Amino acid sequence: MTDKLSTTRRGFLRGTIGTASAAIVTTADAGCSKELTTERGTSAVPQTPAQERVDVSTKVNGQTHRLEVHPDDSALDVVRSQLGLTGCKLGCGHGACGACTMQVDGTPVATCLLPATSLHGRAVTTVEGVGAGGLHPVQRAFMAEDAMQCGYCTSGFIVEATAFHDAWRAEHGAREPTKEQVAEAMAGHLCRCAAYVQIYAAIQGACAGRFDGEVEAPRYDAREKVTGKAKYTVDQQPDGLLIGKALHSPYAHAVVTKLDWSAALAMPGVEGAVDLLTESRRVRYAGQEIMALAAIDERTALAAIEAVVVEYDVKPAVIGMDAARAVGAEVVYPKRGDRKHPPNSSEGPLLPEGWSGNLRGPLGLFSKQRRVARANIERARKDGTVFEGTFRTQVQCHTALEPHVALAQWEGTDKLTVHISTQAVALKAEEVAERWGLRRDDVRVLAPYVGGGFGAKGTLTHEVVVAVALAQVCDAPVIYGLDRRSEIMIGGNRPGAEIEMSLATDAGGSMTAMRSITHSDSGVAVGGVVSIMHRIIYPEAPRELVDYDVTNHAPPGKPFRGPAGPQAYFALEQAVDHIAHVRGEDPVAVRRRWDPNPARNALYDWVDTLPEWTGRPAHKADRGRYRRGIGIAGAAWFAFVEPKSRIQIDASPDGIVVTTASQDIGNGTRTIIAKTIAESLGVGMYDIDLRIGDSRYVHGAWSAGSRTTSSVVPPSKHAAEQLKEELVDIAAKHFRLKGAVAVPGGVAHEGGKVPWSEVLAISPKITVIGRRKRDEGGYAVPQIMGLATERAVSASLQVVEVEIDTRLGRLSIPRTWAGYGVGRIVSPTLARSQAQGGVLQGISYALYEERRLDPTHGYLLSAGLEDYRIAGIGDVGEIHIHFEESGYEKVRGRSVGLGEIVTLAPAAAIANAVFDATGWRPHELPLRPDRVMKGMHT
Amino acid sequence: MIRFPTSPSEVPASAGGGPSPVIRAGGTDLTERRRLRLAPGPLIDLRDVIGLDSIDWAAGAATVGARVTVAQAASDPALAAAYPGLAAAAGSLATPQIRAVATIGGNLLQANRCWYFRNPDHRCLKSGGDTCLARAGDHLYHACFDRGPCACVHPSTLGMALLAYEAQVAVHEQPERSIEALYGDGSDPSRDHQLPDGALLTHVVMPAPVPLERAAYFRTISRARAEWPLVEALVRLGLRGSTIEFARVAVGGVAPVPLRLPAVEAALVGNAMDRTSFGAAANKAREGASPLPMTGYKVDLVEGTVLEALERASYATPSAVGADAAGSAGAATPKDGA
Repeated sequence: MTDKLSTTRRGFLRGTIGTASAAIVTTADAGCSKELTTERGTSAVPQTPAQERVDVSTKVNGQTHRLEVHPDDSALDVVRSQLGLTGCKLGCGHGACGACTMQVDGTPVATCLLPATSLHGRAVTTVEGVGAGGLHPVQRAFMAEDAMQCGYCTSGFIVEATAFHDAWRAEHGAREPTKEQVAEAMAGHLCRCAAYVQIYAAIQGACAGRFDGEVEAPRYDAREKVTGKAKYTVDQQPDGLLIGKALHSPYAHAVVTKLDWSAALAMPGVEGAVDLLTESRRVRYAGQEIMALAAIDERTALAAIEAVVVEYDVKPAVIGMDAARAVGAEVVYPKRGDRKHPPNSSEGPLLPEGWSGNLRGPLGLFSKQRRVARANIERARKDGTVFEGTFRTQVQCHTALEPHVALAQWEGTDKLTVHISTQAVALKAEEVAERWGLRRDDVRVLAPYVGGGFGAKGTLTHEVVVAVALAQVCDAPVIYGLDRRSEIMIGGNRPGAEIEMSLATDAGGSMTAMRSITHSDSGVAVGGVVSIMHRIIYPEAPRELVDYDVTNHAPPGKPFRGPAGPQAYFALEQAVDHIAHVRGEDPVAVRRRWDPNPARNALYDWVDTLPEWTGRPAHKADRGRYRRGIGIAGAAWFAFVEPKSRIQIDASPDGIVVTTASQDIGNGTRTIIAKTIAESLGVGMYDIDLRIGDSRYVHGAWSAGSRTTSSVVPPSKHAAEQLKEELVDIAAKHFRLKGAVAVPGGVAHEGGKVPWSEVLAISPKITVIGRRKRDEGGYAVPQIMGLATERAVSASLQVVEVEIDTRLGRLSIPRTWAGYGVGRIVSPTLARSQAQGGVLQGISYALYEERRLDPTHGYLLSAGLEDYRIAGIGDVGEIHIHFEESGYEKVRGRSVGLGEIVTLAPAAAIANAVFDATGWRPHELPLRPDRVMKGMHT
Repeated sequence: MIRFPTSPSEVPASAGGGPSPVIRAGGTDLTERRRLRLAPGPLIDLRDVIGLDSIDWAAGAATVGARVTVAQAASDPALAAAYPGLAAAAGSLATPQIRAVATIGGNLLQANRCWYFRNPDHRCLKSGGDTCLARAGDHLYHACFDRGPCACVHPSTLGMALLAYEAQVAVHEQPERSIEALYGDGSDPSRDHQLPDGALLTHVVMPAPVPLERAAYFRTISRARAEWPLVEALVRLGLRGSTIEFARVAVGGVAPVPLRLPAVEAALVGNAMDRTSFGAAANKAREGASPLPMTGYKVDLVEGTVLEALERASYATPSAVGADAAGSAGAATPKDGA
């Protein structure tokens, strides 16, 4: 049994721990216990458990393999783990996402469900075998059209699309397939970044023969992604790797009265276990990790989890905001101590607030002339010039296709390497060092490729703690990641919201008051900040803005792409639309009157030239089965920057190496750095050897909060300028040049030009570090958590056309026009990809996505990508993107981020379009067929 | 334990004691259920079985081997000519990567998709528990024709299609049975079909095709594709002149078993193939509905989906059999519609 030791000092007792002994590893709060009890497996040397094996002879990518597989192994398991072909990925595990697609005898198959035994006598092609000996036209097309972002789903798309392409061209020559035909063929694939517009273009173009020759890829790492060579955390397979698995609570609220893992640890191949509960032994949401263990393979680990004995004292649970607000409801955090550090679903720090039962708040900090606002609403009520309504939004899950996963490996007792699927390599290294009491330089965090994040992979979460603790107790590398069920359960979510929205005007249509009272459902987390969003748009009128958190026994919310934004604008922009409608005014004219933001005003000018908007049909023009309508909505987001961001250039006769401890989660970090430096030097993007995703490099920006572009572009330029200066000096001295000056491509002088390559060839090793200098006029508020806020805010305006099938309740979005004011666009192609993906993610939120829990017991029901629905390729209409590049003159580099602003307005614009089409104003998301049917009947 | 029998006779009926053996064909449903610990027991893998993988014709009617893949059924020209609704349904279910592997037999005998049934931590009526968790919980996607203690909906699109085609299934060493008999009336909460453990479904036996039938399959979902149906319907119509003289209508996604809608069929037969009779007939699809608190919308969708399928059937090209294959189709004539 566990022999529990105690400690008060961080960093006590690390490293190899004797057989059957236990230790407590101290960590800071990561949502689980600060002190983790661990225990080593009982076998002295790792034992391979006896397992049934079946001989399988199969040909993979042209090579014959004799494999021994378990009857229940999937083809995907075997190809990845036994053959090391990791290009095809595990996405959902139930055949919905297609990331695992391989060709079996030439036919694409979902291999996560395909028994490995069925590979016997068959020929398999993985992404690594596609276009062997050169790129397939489909791979070139994906590169040229930028048909990927994070790249995690790309292998599956490539394998499917090459089969489709080859069959299509054999039958139809170079005739281009329709979007409908492509959608039918690709129906079994999901892309969470929603690169679908580009995927259509790539597949149609490849079939039409447009990519039979060499192409240029606008995305720096496109080739690695289309060939399956990009290695994500899930793909790392060091020798002796153990697999971690966790025991998740089936109950939403319980106290664990007994936890006995002795039988599990006695099983052959089980190497160690860690207890993840706090001292109170209390579980506050279904799915919470109670303990984890590591074993020699996944099957053994899962069997061991079954052997763990747990006894629960099940307590009453409150699920959802209504139950949590009811009189006499069980209180999630009854003690003052519990309320100090609840999980935080926002990206900013938590402010101290009052509590009453499960209610935390009010947070009224962002109000302005609150009393005037109240009085003006009263007056407008009498005058009939107020909009009042309550809007409800659902809980949305990030469900990035690469789940939360970490692989930890200790070297001795004080050096640690952790691969993490993370949005913040540099920050994670700092946090890991602090929690395990290590020197920062002794911790190395690696994330060369990250399969999406969307906000859920910014903070230090359990997967890191589990992997590090298990690696320590087992003295071996351990990987621990969530399966899809767990990812949807505990991987992160956007809080649901209930927003009481009031908007008042005077008779002349001036806004006289805004009021929003928001209750946010972040489960056991807190941090709802809808009020901030309502402060930064139409900022002049008095307003009362209040946020409450309603804690309940549901998994914690996390920051999600534009935290609080989609909820806030769904309510506010419908209120604006209502005012315009009642007043008989153009909705753009109303906004223009209220809105001093120069970027959005430029977008109002743009939309006034958009014929589809200005020439839109009358309200409720369609009366038949199908009803079309057009709606508009705007949004604001912050412009953030991480001033500590650095870029290092090492130049030598071997070339130009650029490094920074940032990461690329599909947002294009690599591309904008390489492109900026390449353009400054006047060389090609691929002349730069860019290395990121390693915490050993100089401090790099997080990929969160739309800060990356504004944080990495100025230091890239700064570094390139320094390099040029040094190289000019070296060239002038070495070649004795007169009037030497840097020009694109090299050093110009009176006698001609020396290209950079010749200068580098004779240059000693040069190292320069680019910094992110301050903006002119400084920042809006002091830095918070290393993040500075620009004085300018980013802007969006979106026009959406909806079509409603009143017979079947289906809503579709044939056309979207979206304009963004985010300053200078560094990479037009990637910016467009990200914008279209963000719009689609917003559409997916508005129409389909919804986490559903059992209403009484709180366990997850929408536990896979069948029941948790995200937009597929067939749901994609036309999406036109407009960038307004003016403004932001005071921002260094003149660029602000794009990641969040693109996804904030779609739900609001869709709701306004539904109203335009039908006269029914949606107050609740998502717009499921049952809600649409009901709306049509009201 | 896994066994690879090479013929149906090597498939053991049932092992006494211990969990019953589990038959695996394509594995597209079973693989996940085994991961969820919902189908323990030794595996009988049909990989090496010789036969059961072809579509055979006798007297103009097809017999479809249980190991024929859904993709094969969807793309077989003769099957599509004779039974256009069946081929359309096969081509519309799941995704291409699933259809390539999933078999006809597996599709008919798959387990339901209820999110309580598939939760490994909680037991419902179909996974060894004593109560339907959906009924008291969240049943947004569940039955609107309540047939018993279990509130799930049957997952098999092909079962629904074959019900409309009045097909029989052959089970090794057992008499053929109808689709109704295969599934029962939906009141048995313990199982998704009525075959005994270890029984091997070997073939689907189609009746003689109906010449010149107009058929349509339609699936109502929230997204454009790749979603389990909220409601699905298959309609087959036969005309004499402009009068409907033969109608078969079945729906899925609404009850623990696929349902035929005799009231809709009766409302069609003898009437003109037009908007009025379609509207009146589709309205009959609501008859007998008994929605749960959260599934009232599905009753509207059943009507809408049946109407949609009726309209699509009316535009459909009449099946070829009877015109150019009259010889082989032999004496096939439309059965009465009542």
